[in-house]
Amino acid sequence: MRNYENLVIVKPTLTAEEIQASITAIEEVITSNGGEIAARDTMGMRKLAYPINKNERGYFYVIYYSIAPSAISEIERRFRINENLLRFVTIKYDTNREVAAWKQLVLKANKKASSPAEETKTREIEIAPEVEEVAEETAE
Amino acid sequence: MAERRKYKKRFCKYCEAKVDFMDYKDVGALRFSLSERYKIMPRRLTGNCKRHQDMIATVIKRARAAALVPYTVTRKTVVTAPFENLR
Repeated sequence: MRNYENLVIVKPTLTAEEIQASITAIEEVITSNGGEIAARDTMGMRKLAYPINKNERGYFYVIYYSIAPSAISEIERRFRINENLLRFVTIKYDTNREVAAWKQLVLKANKKASSPAEETKTREIEIAPEVEEVAEETAE
Repeated sequence: MAERRKYKKRFCKYCEAKVDFMDYKDVGALRFSLSERYKIMPRRLTGNCKRHQDMIATVIKRARAAALVPYTVTRKTVVTAPFENLR
């Protein structure tokens, strides 16, 4: 078993339910080939740095999993057939240093998934004082 | 000679921060080693050490494949505030 990470970009033209369905289909491909999904990270709808197949935007989704190295070719073959995907990037985490980094990334992703509300709250708190300062300056 | 050198030769910033691994999804961190036109900055200008330059090069190439960072910026696609629209 080796640690991997897959970033997939789903077509932006699909509806929210269709995107969810295609993501579950992607995870199904991984699990059916004997992979264990460690963490998921939703990056959401983002602007692409360059258009892919005339699409300006895309839905980014990251999956961290461990699987036997021989199964990767099959997974990539299935991804290539899938027409809902604009792009996928598979990253291998092989050396000790990379595996340690992978574990950190999994922890981070799980934290983000379990407490999305808290993060937004802390961000708001961080931003709020600055806004007040600006308001005071303009008042003066 | 002094006139020709626009950038001062510096220490490696990544060694200073003790970076062991870079994540290609963290686009803001790649900014330091990218030029305005999203070219990978050479080592002689940034002062990166060989080890970290190799790391950043692979990471930037991954980010380009994942459409997080553009391959090229032409006059048509140039943006006034790069990286801002990508977040």
